[in-house]
Amino acid sequence: MAERPRFGGDEPTICHVDMDAFFASVEVLDHPELKGKPVIVGGTGSRGVVAACTYEARRFGVRSAMAMTRAKQLCPDAIVMPGRFARYQELSALVHEAFHEVTDLVESIGLDEAFLDVAPAIRRLGPPVEIAQGLRRSIWDKTKLVSSVGIGRTKMLAKLASREAKPKATARGVERGRGVVRIAPEDELAFLHPMEIRALWGIGPQTAEKFYAVGIRTVGELASLDAPTIERLVGRSMGPHLLAMANGEDTRVVVPSRELKSIGQEQTFAQDLAEVASVLPYLTEQAERVAHQLRSKGLRARTTTIKVRFSDFTDLTRSSTTEVGIDTGPAIIAVATGLLEKVELRGGIRLFGISCSGFATHDANQLSLFDTNAPSEAATLQETWEPVSGAVDAIRERFGADALSVASHLGRSGTVDALRPERWGPTAPEEST
Amino acid sequence: MLSGLLLHCEGNLLTITGTDLDLAIRVELEVIGIADGSTVVPARLATDIVRSLEPGALTLDTNEDRVDIAAARSHFGIRAYPPMEFPTVSAVGAPTTQLGTQALAEGLRQVVRASSSDDARPLLTGVLLTNYGDTVRMVATDSYRLALRDLAGSSVLAAERDILVPARALAELQRLTTAAGAGDDASVGVASSANEIAFTTANVTISTRLLEGTYPDYRQLIPESYPNQLVVGKESLLAAVRRVRLLVRDNTTPVRLSMRAGGVDLAVKSQDGDASETVDGDYTGEDITIAFNPSYLIDGIDAVLSDEVLIESTDASRPATVRSAEQADFRYLLMPVRVA
Repeated sequence: MAERPRFGGDEPTICHVDMDAFFASVEVLDHPELKGKPVIVGGTGSRGVVAACTYEARRFGVRSAMAMTRAKQLCPDAIVMPGRFARYQELSALVHEAFHEVTDLVESIGLDEAFLDVAPAIRRLGPPVEIAQGLRRSIWDKTKLVSSVGIGRTKMLAKLASREAKPKATARGVERGRGVVRIAPEDELAFLHPMEIRALWGIGPQTAEKFYAVGIRTVGELASLDAPTIERLVGRSMGPHLLAMANGEDTRVVVPSRELKSIGQEQTFAQDLAEVASVLPYLTEQAERVAHQLRSKGLRARTTTIKVRFSDFTDLTRSSTTEVGIDTGPAIIAVATGLLEKVELRGGIRLFGISCSGFATHDANQLSLFDTNAPSEAATLQETWEPVSGAVDAIRERFGADALSVASHLGRSGTVDALRPERWGPTAPEEST
Repeated sequence: MLSGLLLHCEGNLLTITGTDLDLAIRVELEVIGIADGSTVVPARLATDIVRSLEPGALTLDTNEDRVDIAAARSHFGIRAYPPMEFPTVSAVGAPTTQLGTQALAEGLRQVVRASSSDDARPLLTGVLLTNYGDTVRMVATDSYRLALRDLAGSSVLAAERDILVPARALAELQRLTTAAGAGDDASVGVASSANEIAFTTANVTISTRLLEGTYPDYRQLIPESYPNQLVVGKESLLAAVRRVRLLVRDNTTPVRLSMRAGGVDLAVKSQDGDASETVDGDYTGEDITIAFNPSYLIDGIDAVLSDEVLIESTDASRPATVRSAEQADFRYLLMPVRVA
């Protein structure tokens, strides 16, 4: 990734802004009688999962991605509410407005989180800490919601700093957060090294196990290893990267989020496929991933397009527009399957892909000439799955992309590896602007 | 094979055919035939080569799996394919109907735009051709708007049934008839069989498979009368909607039309800001505000062929009509956008 010329010398200018318990806080905002109470947002059914919870609920040990039944055991008095995506999106837009009043270098990560490089704003707005405090105030003025800001020289440090800035929930009570935490360059290693290695980006449960096996638990211990040792443990591509991060280095710059026109996935098969049934598992997997991408960006798509490459390398695309914006796997699967079934596959296809576009951000509703009172299958599925999807995301975020999958994909080993284009997880989604 | 063009020379007539199985286009050219023969050339490459050659005559020479294209001091030898493998393009037969080229070109421009591009609703990706009195009526809808044009003075379709032609083929025909820019008396021959239709101009034939199925009953969608009527200058309204649309970045932000005595106020509000504009006109009816998809509205106004546009409406949730204030042969029915 290209280095951007820096404005502030060594002054840390990267801010990570994270809304505190976003979904749950919005519910408290809209239902003031819930203030100070344990509130959980998530699936309300018997198999629901926690998507977000207030700090009052965290005192009892409730965490996001936890089974709702478990959460209710821990905190029987919790008020459980289903999510209201449209409302979160509305407030997220205001939060992003506040970001952009500071700088255009905003890399948005979902509805409630973003990286900002405030270097260009220093001359106008003062040192980063002041900018961060101003930003928190402006977010409060616009939304009456609380956020935390971490400031660091790198994105990773900023993200870890924002975690430090947040309120802490202990059994005794909720401790107010510091709001803004800045990691000075000279304090970086003292801040980073005592942390558990899982704090480093790219260290998931499996990688962590490899280090635990050789007695490495903290970032500092990892930093003390030499490069060949780390590479033996985690491989050549990941090793140098981890070592650099353990020493506080991270060359990734804040990449302003582009305006996306489409989000898609495609995959070439090892062998040509000639039947809908044999394409379906790939279609399902891709649809789920595209849906996840859409949700993580707070987008809903009205147009779903499938792409098929025949064995003679000619491509065919077919698309369909739904009356509502969709962002759930089942809805995308329904539309894409409908399109696939109309394609003649007998000659064999070597590639299949799905992309979603036509992002709907407004609630305006184009009426139809044909009085179709019955909603389409996709619209019905969207409505059914919408409340669950936030929980699915929370589980994947916490336990990895494989933690939840479509049952029809599970092989005897209980994994979906066979469908994966790469062993190390999903390929980067294809995004076009 | 589908990316190839079939070249067939017989006597002094060269026939060039391209097809994707649904749609076929055949062009006949008079040439100096030296020997009869056929070949299939890669379309893109052959076109690029011929287009880039110096002006003047060129020679085509085919040998088994090779075609030589030569002109002036240029020479290309490219790989060719056996004509045997080229899909058969059936001949539909001699034209049974003649449509005036100019009216057809006009009608296609007005109607094709309202067809759907949604492959999940195949019927709506077609344009309906149907006999209406002693005219041929063209109808297209994507379910949000519907365009309808009667081709007066055209002979009636021979078939006693409705024909549903893929809009894609008609878009090609539109290009062809518009490019022809023909005189008043030029006409396009139409021939149809049970599952195909062919349009023939002087030397080009476009044939396409018909869509199968029953087209929605469009007649019941058209209101019999409207309480509200607005007459405004076409160009000033078109320019105004285009201006306020500048603020629309996605396809879901509507333009609001507030109609009142003396004209109409336009307003758009989007995440980028807001815009408003006033266009003077004559209005009879109650003061109402209706929101439309600005692109659909522009499509309708732009399709009107006279200087003044008549917009008829009932209320904010029922279809409005955009048409000429003077002529009745074209109507554009448009559903509003419901705003919260």
